[in-house]
Amino acid sequence: MEPLATARLDDYLDPAVLEVTLDDGLGEADSARIDIRWTTRGDYVFHYTDTEGVNLRWGKHPHGGEYRCVDGLEHYHPPPDASSDPDKVQDSCITQSSEALVTRAVLKLWRVAYHTDAYEPLNVGSNPP
Amino acid sequence: MNDQNQPDEFADVNEVVEDEWESETTPYERIRHVVAHAYSPVSADAVADDALTTPKTARKHLETLAEEGFVETSPGEHGGTLYCRSPESLVVEQAADILEHVTTDELVTRVTEMRERLNEYRTEYGVDSPEELAVERTNQTLSESGSAGQEIDPETVREWKTLRRNLAFANAALSIGTAEQFVGEDDHSTDESIPA
Repeated sequence: MEPLATARLDDYLDPAVLEVTLDDGLGEADSARIDIRWTTRGDYVFHYTDTEGVNLRWGKHPHGGEYRCVDGLEHYHPPPDASSDPDKVQDSCITQSSEALVTRAVLKLWRVAYHTDAYEPLNVGSNPP
Repeated sequence: MNDQNQPDEFADVNEVVEDEWESETTPYERIRHVVAHAYSPVSADAVADDALTTPKTARKHLETLAEEGFVETSPGEHGGTLYCRSPESLVVEQAADILEHVTTDELVTRVTEMRERLNEYRTEYGVDSPEELAVERTNQTLSESGSAGQEIDPETVREWKTLRRNLAFANAALSIGTAEQFVGEDDHSTDESIPA
Protein backbone atom coordinates (compact mmCIF):
# COMPACT_ATOMS: atom_id res chain seq x y z
CA MET A 1 0.00 0.00 0.00
CA GLU A 2 1.09 3.54 -0.66
CA PRO A 3 0.39 6.42 1.71
CA LEU A 4 -2.98 8.04 1.38
CA ALA A 5 -3.06 11.52 -0.12
CA THR A 6 -5.71 14.07 0.86
CA ALA A 7 -6.07 17.36 -1.02
CA ARG A 8 -7.63 20.58 0.28
CA LEU A 9 -7.50 24.28 -0.56
CA ASP A 10 -6.09 26.53 2.19
CA ASP A 11 -9.13 28.81 1.78
CA TYR A 12 -12.03 27.71 -0.37
CA LEU A 13 -13.09 31.23 -1.39
CA ASP A 14 -9.70 32.93 -1.67
CA PRO A 15 -7.30 30.07 -2.28
CA ALA A 16 -3.56 30.51 -2.57
CA VAL A 17 -2.40 26.93 -2.09
CA LEU A 18 -3.66 23.41 -2.74
CA GLU A 19 -2.35 21.31 0.16
CA VAL A 20 -1.90 17.60 -0.45
CA THR A 21 -1.31 15.79 2.84
CA LEU A 22 0.52 12.46 2.63
CA ASP A 23 0.14 9.83 5.38
CA ASP A 24 3.82 8.95 5.13
CA GLY A 25 6.95 10.90 4.27
CA LEU A 26 10.31 10.17 2.68
CA GLY A 27 12.98 8.57 4.88
CA GLU A 28 12.22 8.81 8.59
CA ALA A 29 9.38 11.31 8.19
CA ASP A 30 6.01 10.17 9.60
CA SER A 31 3.97 12.35 7.28
CA ALA A 32 4.44 14.98 4.60
CA ARG A 33 2.66 17.63 2.55
CA ILE A 34 2.98 18.88 -1.00
CA ASP A 35 1.81 22.49 -1.41
CA ILE A 36 0.84 23.43 -4.96
CA ARG A 37 0.43 26.88 -6.46
CA TRP A 38 -0.50 27.33 -10.11
CA THR A 39 -1.12 30.68 -11.80
CA THR A 40 -3.34 31.61 -14.76
CA ARG A 41 -0.10 32.16 -16.72
CA GLY A 42 1.00 28.58 -16.17
CA ASP A 43 3.66 29.32 -13.52
CA TYR A 44 3.76 26.73 -10.77
CA VAL A 45 5.47 25.49 -7.61
CA PHE A 46 5.21 22.05 -5.99
CA HIS A 47 6.73 22.30 -2.50
CA TYR A 48 7.42 19.16 -0.46
CA THR A 49 7.77 19.45 3.32
CA ASP A 50 7.75 16.70 5.97
CA THR A 51 7.82 16.06 9.72
CA GLU A 52 11.61 15.63 9.64
CA GLY A 53 11.89 19.22 8.38
CA VAL A 54 13.03 18.22 4.90
CA ASN A 55 11.94 20.63 2.17
CA LEU A 56 12.35 20.62 -1.62
CA ARG A 57 10.55 22.29 -4.49
CA TRP A 58 9.96 22.01 -8.21
CA GLY A 59 9.07 25.33 -9.81
CA LYS A 60 8.44 27.12 -13.06
CA HIS A 61 8.28 30.89 -12.98
CA PRO A 62 10.41 33.87 -14.09
CA HIS A 63 13.46 34.34 -11.83
CA GLY A 64 15.20 37.19 -13.66
CA GLY A 65 18.29 35.05 -14.29
CA GLU A 66 18.89 34.83 -10.56
CA TYR A 67 19.25 31.05 -10.65
CA ARG A 68 22.41 31.12 -12.73
CA CYS A 69 22.66 27.34 -13.17
CA VAL A 70 19.15 27.19 -14.61
CA ASP A 71 18.64 27.45 -18.39
CA GLY A 72 14.91 27.98 -18.65
CA LEU A 73 12.08 28.68 -16.26
CA GLU A 74 11.78 25.14 -14.87
CA HIS A 75 13.98 24.64 -11.81
CA TYR A 76 14.47 22.55 -8.69
CA HIS A 77 15.25 23.67 -5.15
CA PRO A 78 17.07 20.66 -3.66
CA PRO A 79 16.64 19.11 -0.23
CA PRO A 80 17.13 19.27 2.67
CA ASP A 81 16.13 22.94 2.77
CA ALA A 82 14.73 23.68 -0.73
CA SER A 83 17.69 26.02 -1.09
CA SER A 84 17.23 29.23 -3.07
CA ASP A 85 21.00 29.80 -3.19
CA PRO A 86 21.64 30.77 -6.87
CA ASP A 87 24.44 28.18 -7.00
CA LYS A 88 22.26 25.37 -5.67
CA VAL A 89 19.06 25.80 -7.65
CA GLN A 90 19.21 23.35 -10.58
CA ASP A 91 17.43 22.69 -13.84
CA SER A 92 14.27 20.69 -13.20
CA CYS A 93 13.96 17.30 -14.84
CA ILE A 94 10.29 18.15 -15.48
CA THR A 95 9.93 19.89 -18.84
CA GLN A 96 6.23 19.31 -19.49
CA SER A 97 3.98 22.33 -19.00
CA SER A 98 0.35 21.24 -18.77
CA GLU A 99 -1.30 20.72 -15.37
CA ALA A 100 -2.07 17.06 -16.02
CA LEU A 101 1.46 16.16 -17.09
CA VAL A 102 3.43 18.14 -14.49
CA THR A 103 1.25 16.69 -11.72
CA ARG A 104 1.75 13.17 -13.07
CA ALA A 105 5.50 13.76 -13.26
CA VAL A 106 5.71 14.96 -9.65
CA LEU A 107 3.71 11.95 -8.50
CA LYS A 108 5.95 9.60 -10.47
CA LEU A 109 9.20 11.09 -9.15
CA TRP A 110 7.86 11.06 -5.60
CA ARG A 111 6.89 7.38 -5.91
CA VAL A 112 10.36 6.37 -7.07
CA ALA A 113 11.92 8.35 -4.20
CA TYR A 114 9.49 6.73 -1.75
CA HIS A 115 10.17 3.18 -2.91
CA THR A 116 13.94 3.58 -3.17
CA ASP A 117 14.07 5.57 0.07
CA ALA A 118 16.28 8.25 -1.48
CA TYR A 119 16.02 11.91 -2.48
CA GLU A 120 18.13 11.69 -5.64
CA PRO A 121 15.39 10.27 -7.91
CA LEU A 122 13.29 13.39 -7.31
CA ASN A 123 15.22 15.31 -9.94
CA VAL A 124 16.82 12.61 -12.04
CA GLY A 125 13.84 12.05 -14.28
CA SER A 126 14.37 8.35 -14.86
CA ASN A 127 13.89 5.08 -13.00
CA PRO A 128 16.55 2.68 -14.27
CA PRO A 129 16.28 -1.07 -13.66
CA MET B 1 9.29 2.27 2.33
CA ASN B 2 7.44 -0.63 0.86
CA ASP B 3 8.26 -3.28 -1.71
CA GLN B 4 4.80 -3.64 -3.13
CA ASN B 5 3.56 -1.47 -5.98
CA GLN B 6 7.09 -0.74 -7.10
CA PRO B 7 6.98 1.95 -9.77
CA ASP B 8 7.78 0.69 -13.26
CA GLU B 9 11.10 1.51 -14.82
CA PHE B 10 11.21 4.51 -17.11
CA ALA B 11 13.90 6.31 -19.08
CA ASP B 12 12.39 9.80 -19.15
CA VAL B 13 9.69 10.99 -16.79
CA ASN B 14 8.45 13.51 -19.38
CA GLU B 15 7.84 10.81 -21.95
CA VAL B 16 6.28 8.27 -19.62
CA VAL B 17 3.70 10.73 -18.28
CA GLU B 18 2.70 11.58 -21.85
CA ASP B 19 2.30 7.89 -22.71
CA GLU B 20 0.22 7.19 -19.62
CA TRP B 21 -1.98 10.26 -20.02
CA GLU B 22 -2.57 9.34 -23.65
CA SER B 23 -3.51 5.74 -22.84
CA GLU B 24 -5.82 6.67 -19.93
CA THR B 25 -7.82 9.43 -21.66
CA THR B 26 -9.58 10.11 -24.95
CA PRO B 27 -8.47 12.90 -27.31
CA TYR B 28 -11.67 14.78 -26.41
CA GLU B 29 -10.90 14.61 -22.68
CA ARG B 30 -7.38 15.89 -23.22
CA ILE B 31 -8.49 18.71 -25.51
CA ARG B 32 -11.13 19.76 -22.99
CA HIS B 33 -8.55 19.68 -20.18
CA VAL B 34 -6.04 21.77 -22.13
CA VAL B 35 -8.51 24.42 -23.29
CA ALA B 36 -10.17 24.53 -19.84
CA HIS B 37 -6.99 26.18 -18.60
CA ALA B 38 -6.31 28.31 -21.70
CA TYR B 39 -6.94 31.73 -20.16
CA SER B 40 -5.57 33.56 -23.18
CA PRO B 41 -6.29 32.68 -26.83
CA VAL B 42 -4.31 29.84 -28.40
CA SER B 43 -4.36 28.17 -31.82
CA ALA B 44 -5.82 24.73 -32.51
CA ASP B 45 -2.27 23.59 -33.36
CA ALA B 46 -1.06 24.59 -29.89
CA VAL B 47 -3.99 22.82 -28.23
CA ALA B 48 -3.32 19.72 -30.36
CA ASP B 49 0.33 19.75 -29.29
CA ASP B 50 -0.51 19.89 -25.58
CA ALA B 51 -3.38 17.42 -25.93
CA LEU B 52 -1.22 14.87 -27.79
CA THR B 53 -3.51 14.76 -30.79
CA THR B 54 -3.71 16.07 -34.35
CA PRO B 55 -4.71 19.65 -35.27
CA LYS B 56 -7.66 18.22 -37.22
CA THR B 57 -9.04 16.37 -34.16
CA ALA B 58 -8.36 19.37 -31.93
CA ARG B 59 -10.22 21.72 -34.30
CA LYS B 60 -13.22 19.38 -34.48
CA HIS B 61 -13.62 19.11 -30.69
CA LEU B 62 -12.83 22.80 -30.12
CA GLU B 63 -15.64 23.75 -32.51
CA THR B 64 -18.07 21.54 -30.55
CA LEU B 65 -16.86 23.02 -27.25
CA ALA B 66 -17.33 26.50 -28.71
CA GLU B 67 -20.92 25.68 -29.70
CA GLU B 68 -21.58 24.47 -26.14
CA GLY B 69 -20.21 27.73 -24.73
CA PHE B 70 -17.24 26.12 -22.97
CA VAL B 71 -14.80 27.79 -25.35
CA GLU B 72 -14.66 31.26 -26.90
CA THR B 73 -13.24 31.89 -30.35
CA SER B 74 -11.49 34.94 -31.75
CA PRO B 75 -9.90 35.67 -35.13
CA GLY B 76 -6.14 35.06 -35.23
CA GLU B 77 -3.52 36.11 -37.73
CA HIS B 78 -3.64 34.82 -41.32
CA GLY B 79 -7.37 34.05 -41.08
CA GLY B 80 -6.96 31.39 -38.41
CA THR B 81 -9.13 30.94 -35.33
CA LEU B 82 -7.92 31.22 -31.75
CA TYR B 83 -9.55 29.48 -28.81
CA CYS B 84 -9.69 30.17 -25.07
CA ARG B 85 -11.75 29.11 -22.07
CA SER B 86 -15.00 31.05 -22.06
CA PRO B 87 -14.97 33.36 -19.00
CA GLU B 88 -18.73 32.87 -18.69
CA SER B 89 -18.46 29.09 -18.41
CA LEU B 90 -15.58 29.47 -15.95
CA VAL B 91 -17.59 31.84 -13.73
CA VAL B 92 -20.63 29.55 -13.75
CA GLU B 93 -18.47 26.50 -12.97
CA GLN B 94 -16.65 28.23 -10.11
CA ALA B 95 -19.90 29.64 -8.68
CA ALA B 96 -21.55 26.22 -8.70
CA ASP B 97 -18.50 24.73 -7.01
CA ILE B 98 -18.54 27.40 -4.29
CA LEU B 99 -22.28 26.93 -3.66
CA GLU B 100 -21.68 23.22 -3.14
CA HIS B 101 -19.01 23.77 -0.50
CA VAL B 102 -19.86 27.02 1.30
CA THR B 103 -23.05 28.06 3.12
CA THR B 104 -24.82 31.26 2.10
CA ASP B 105 -24.13 32.84 5.51
CA GLU B 106 -20.42 32.17 5.22
CA LEU B 107 -20.47 33.42 1.64
CA VAL B 108 -22.07 36.74 2.69
CA THR B 109 -19.52 37.22 5.49
CA ARG B 110 -16.54 36.40 3.32
CA VAL B 111 -17.68 38.57 0.39
CA THR B 112 -17.90 41.54 2.78
CA GLU B 113 -14.48 40.75 4.21
CA MET B 114 -12.86 40.35 0.77
CA ARG B 115 -14.42 43.61 -0.40
CA GLU B 116 -12.91 45.38 2.61
CA ARG B 117 -9.50 43.94 1.82
CA LEU B 118 -9.80 45.20 -1.79
CA ASN B 119 -10.56 48.68 -0.44
CA GLU B 120 -7.54 48.46 1.84
CA TYR B 121 -5.31 47.94 -1.22
CA ARG B 122 -6.79 51.06 -2.82
CA THR B 123 -6.26 53.12 0.32
CA GLU B 124 -2.79 51.81 1.03
CA TYR B 125 -1.38 52.33 -2.46
CA GLY B 126 -3.52 55.30 -3.52
CA VAL B 127 -4.53 53.72 -6.85
CA ASP B 128 -7.76 52.09 -8.00
CA SER B 129 -6.46 48.88 -9.55
CA PRO B 130 -3.53 46.46 -9.55
CA GLU B 131 -2.89 47.48 -13.19
CA GLU B 132 -2.31 51.08 -12.07
CA LEU B 133 -0.08 49.77 -9.31
CA ALA B 134 1.96 47.83 -11.86
CA VAL B 135 2.39 51.02 -13.93
CA GLU B 136 3.54 52.88 -10.81
CA ARG B 137 6.00 50.13 -10.11
CA THR B 138 7.47 50.39 -13.62
CA ASN B 139 7.82 54.16 -13.24
CA GLN B 140 9.45 53.64 -9.86
CA THR B 141 11.96 51.25 -11.40
CA LEU B 142 12.66 53.59 -14.36
CA SER B 143 13.28 56.66 -12.22
CA GLU B 144 15.14 54.57 -9.64
CA SER B 145 13.85 56.84 -6.93
CA GLY B 146 13.11 53.92 -4.67
CA SER B 147 13.72 56.07 -1.62
CA ALA B 148 10.73 58.33 -2.32
CA GLY B 149 7.98 55.95 -1.33
CA GLN B 150 7.69 52.35 -0.26
CA GLU B 151 8.88 49.93 -2.91
CA ILE B 152 6.10 48.09 -4.72
CA ASP B 153 6.46 44.34 -4.70
CA PRO B 154 5.33 42.38 -7.81
CA GLU B 155 3.86 39.90 -5.33
CA THR B 156 1.48 42.64 -4.12
CA VAL B 157 0.23 43.24 -7.67
CA ARG B 158 -0.43 39.53 -8.03
CA GLU B 159 -2.13 39.17 -4.64
CA TRP B 160 -4.40 42.11 -5.44
CA LYS B 161 -5.35 40.62 -8.83
CA THR B 162 -5.96 37.22 -7.23
CA LEU B 163 -8.20 38.68 -4.54
CA ARG B 164 -10.18 40.63 -7.15
CA ARG B 165 -10.65 37.50 -9.25
CA ASN B 166 -11.69 35.36 -6.28
CA LEU B 167 -14.12 38.04 -5.09
CA ALA B 168 -15.67 38.04 -8.56
CA PHE B 169 -16.26 34.26 -8.32
CA ALA B 170 -17.68 34.60 -4.80
CA ASN B 171 -19.99 37.44 -5.91
CA ALA B 172 -21.23 35.32 -8.82
CA ALA B 173 -21.92 32.42 -6.43
CA LEU B 174 -23.88 34.72 -4.14
CA SER B 175 -25.98 36.10 -7.02
CA ILE B 176 -26.69 32.67 -8.47
CA GLY B 177 -27.54 31.30 -5.02
CA THR B 178 -29.97 34.14 -4.41
CA ALA B 179 -31.52 33.84 -7.88
CA GLU B 180 -32.06 30.10 -7.39
CA GLN B 181 -34.30 30.80 -4.41
CA PHE B 182 -36.79 32.52 -6.68
CA VAL B 183 -36.43 30.47 -9.84
CA GLY B 184 -37.26 26.86 -10.46
CA GLU B 185 -39.61 25.78 -7.72
CA ASP B 186 -43.09 27.06 -8.27
CA ASP B 187 -44.29 29.68 -5.85
CA HIS B 188 -47.63 28.30 -4.57
CA SER B 189 -48.38 31.18 -2.21
CA THR B 190 -50.34 33.05 -4.89
CA ASP B 191 -52.40 32.04 -7.89
CA GLU B 192 -50.58 34.45 -10.17
CA SER B 193 -48.54 32.98 -12.91
CA ILE B 194 -45.25 34.54 -14.00
CA PRO B 195 -44.05 34.74 -17.59
CA ALA B 196 -41.39 32.12 -18.12
